[in-house]
Amino acid sequence: MPVISLFAWMLVIVFLAFIACMFEDLESDTGSQSNPNSQVQLAPEMGYIHRYYNKAISGEGLSYALACTIAGTIALLLLLKFEPVYGPKAAILAIPVGAAVGSISHMIRASVCYPGREAAHKRFEQPIYLDVFYGHLVPIATHNFIAVICITGIAYIQSHLTVLSGVSGTSNPFPLPLLCLIWGITVGAIGSSTGDIHYGTEREFQDRPFGEGRRVIYHGQICRYGDCGIRTSKDVVAFCAKYGGPATGLTFGLIVLFENWRTVIGMMLGGLTGAAWNPGIAAGCGIGLGIAVAIVLIVLNTWLVRWARKKYGPFVGE
Amino acid sequence: MTVTPAVEEEEKKEEKPKEKFKFSFDYFNESRLGIFALVVGAIIAVAAFFPSLPAFVKGIGAIVVILWGADSVRKTARYGLGTGVPSIGVLAVGFGLVGATTGMAIGSEIYHYYGSIGILGVLAGVAFMAVVGYVSGVLANSERFIGMKIPGLERGMAELAMAGTLAIILECSIVAGSWYIGDILSPIKGYNIAPVAFIAVMFILAGFGMLQPYNSCLGADERRGRTLLMAIEIGGINCIILGAVATMSLGAVQGVPLLVLGAIVWVVFYRAYMKACMEESYAAVGTGLIKTLGG
Amino acid sequence: MEPITLVIILVCIIIGGMLGSLGVHLLPVGGAPAAMATATGIATGCVMLMTGSAVTGLFTASTVATFWESNPSVVLVSLSGGVGAMLMMGFTMLIANLIYIFGAGVVPVSGRAAVDPITKESQTEYKTPRTDGHGVPNVCFYSGMIGGLAGGFGGALIYVILMSGEYAGFSIETAVIVALGIFIANAILAAYNIGGTIEGFHDPKFKERIVTGLTCAFVVSLMCGILVLIAIETGTLGAGGVL
Repeated sequence: MPVISLFAWMLVIVFLAFIACMFEDLESDTGSQSNPNSQVQLAPEMGYIHRYYNKAISGEGLSYALACTIAGTIALLLLLKFEPVYGPKAAILAIPVGAAVGSISHMIRASVCYPGREAAHKRFEQPIYLDVFYGHLVPIATHNFIAVICITGIAYIQSHLTVLSGVSGTSNPFPLPLLCLIWGITVGAIGSSTGDIHYGTEREFQDRPFGEGRRVIYHGQICRYGDCGIRTSKDVVAFCAKYGGPATGLTFGLIVLFENWRTVIGMMLGGLTGAAWNPGIAAGCGIGLGIAVAIVLIVLNTWLVRWARKKYGPFVGE
Repeated sequence: MTVTPAVEEEEKKEEKPKEKFKFSFDYFNESRLGIFALVVGAIIAVAAFFPSLPAFVKGIGAIVVILWGADSVRKTARYGLGTGVPSIGVLAVGFGLVGATTGMAIGSEIYHYYGSIGILGVLAGVAFMAVVGYVSGVLANSERFIGMKIPGLERGMAELAMAGTLAIILECSIVAGSWYIGDILSPIKGYNIAPVAFIAVMFILAGFGMLQPYNSCLGADERRGRTLLMAIEIGGINCIILGAVATMSLGAVQGVPLLVLGAIVWVVFYRAYMKACMEESYAAVGTGLIKTLGG
Repeated sequence: MEPITLVIILVCIIIGGMLGSLGVHLLPVGGAPAAMATATGIATGCVMLMTGSAVTGLFTASTVATFWESNPSVVLVSLSGGVGAMLMMGFTMLIANLIYIFGAGVVPVSGRAAVDPITKESQTEYKTPRTDGHGVPNVCFYSGMIGGLAGGFGGALIYVILMSGEYAGFSIETAVIVALGIFIANAILAAYNIGGTIEGFHDPKFKERIVTGLTCAFVVSLMCGILVLIAIETGTLGAGGVL
């Protein structure tokens, strides 16, 4: 019975992971953070004044590591205070309060970037639009809150799995803030690698033809007009939520799924439910499963690229 | 007849524009700031061994050291690193983690065997890390190795390694009361976790204090005074978070003054920074249309 | 502590650091232009990607290390870390290709090689003119998987050698932060070496810069390793933890 609850908690973790990474990507599109922001930075220097929110805290990996670690620290403080009294129910208070503090600190950090970067664009005549400034802070905070609360939840479950599932020895030995740091860096790295493609290639250069890469001479000439009027960063989120956001969530969810699944299967094959516990076989089975999944991925990618080459054909035009 | 000259004088006075006060760090140019921060940081780090030193003094030390780190990042990253500004800030705290662990271990051992002279041992970690930083800078700059050819990279990386080490030592001593390894690795009174569990937040807070100011103010008209204002403001946020942790681990007597210090520093410098940005930008308008320059 | 143990710890730290640096050189990183489909590779900075995959591997390695009561098997734990990082790179690159192919409508091709060296597919006629390639073609995918394996293995190796009671015997949090510090230092110096973007082992830049990169990683890991040995010799951090 207890092993079933182990799998159940693992599925809860995977579900939280899907949501976390999807909202991480959408939040980075709300504020135009990370790689496509280089175009938003370049546009005024080439004479194209814009109304995007130029949020340049740092790369997404580090800024999410920060927000999640602060959330994890505050959650840990509250858990230490209230767990002796209430038991595991203390997490219901600790995790949302920690995530709220993390999101507020992220919002404050985001609020200093836009005036700073645009004040440094004085000679290019880029003004600071106060309605852009005030209007984007709350969406940034709310999207960030959902991502951070999911990551804190994942870290809490992983560090307290022995208590939650009843199977001894399954908790991760790292403390809660360190797990939040680890998943924060990972979520940011994944969101920056996958979701930013949809924002950078498609939405920022939407007036260029679909089906080709963006040439170097287009750089800086971003699309500044929207459906009706002038585009702000809030208009970007609705577009990227149709493809970039969910695809990013899918990536992190699959990674967390396969990492946890192969570890648990390895533990079962190594004798978790039986009498003899052989750690070498448990680790070895986990490694073997991982290599099998890697081979499947290599085959999938080879087939996918070959399909694209056949269907799309060589480049047409000049 | 006698009225006209007075009117002319009044008009001339109103036409002369009022000189706006710009917050700048002109006295603390780059070398003086480095020496000041190193001396202040080292003194407070050595004194941080004693739990009776109030946490807000250590907080002031942490803010000064982070200011130094942000200035070094600005000095080094001006010339274009190729990978972006955050990498060199994270390098500083990455070196800082290794250096702080070594320094605290050396200091604790000498104190255990030889008494009070041992508290100077923590500076051994800072000195070792300065050497490692300098050698990394030589590797990164010289023609026979990586060859980035950035002026002052060796000195910059040595300074960053020292700043990172001092920042981590000070933050550890804020949470645990002292940087004695026995206090850091053994559980806090009344709970069953050790202060070392909070090392993740110390690492990332110090890193952000050093990398964010220059990254967020990057541009053609970036000004040193404005950038360093943001560094102090981020130091204020760090003190708020660490004050909350210290309230739990050391008690309200140590933690609450640090929290209040952080809040005051943040409010004062956030307002100063925002005012400086809004005044020094091209225009700060409520809303408006866009234009395209250059045709 | 016996000299032979100290030498083993130093050698493992150096190998771990050099593998981390090798991993950075093998990952297909396109930087900011790749997010606009102007360059081949993954659209992020190499430091963040390498650190992200290494900490994923570190997480799995820490779980596997708890399987043993004490003295975990160094090889098995490090391999678990390597496979974890490899899986993370694999999924990221596959979904990135999905977005490139169906979301942006481009064919993944390399900008630095006229013919894919492993699958022998030609690249130039599928590439958009005036760009440096786009997407993650097959050779970059294979290079990225190997890079993830190397980086994850290196990071987990430093962690397990510091945490295992048979060797250094640090507490778990201390082992993690020292491993993270050494790994990040090596990864960032390697990022400076390649100048921010690289396509993988078929890129001419790889052959030019790999020897310099590994030499710098050796020197930095050696210095950090000596500092760690000094810290071990003080006897404060080792088994037992507290004086």
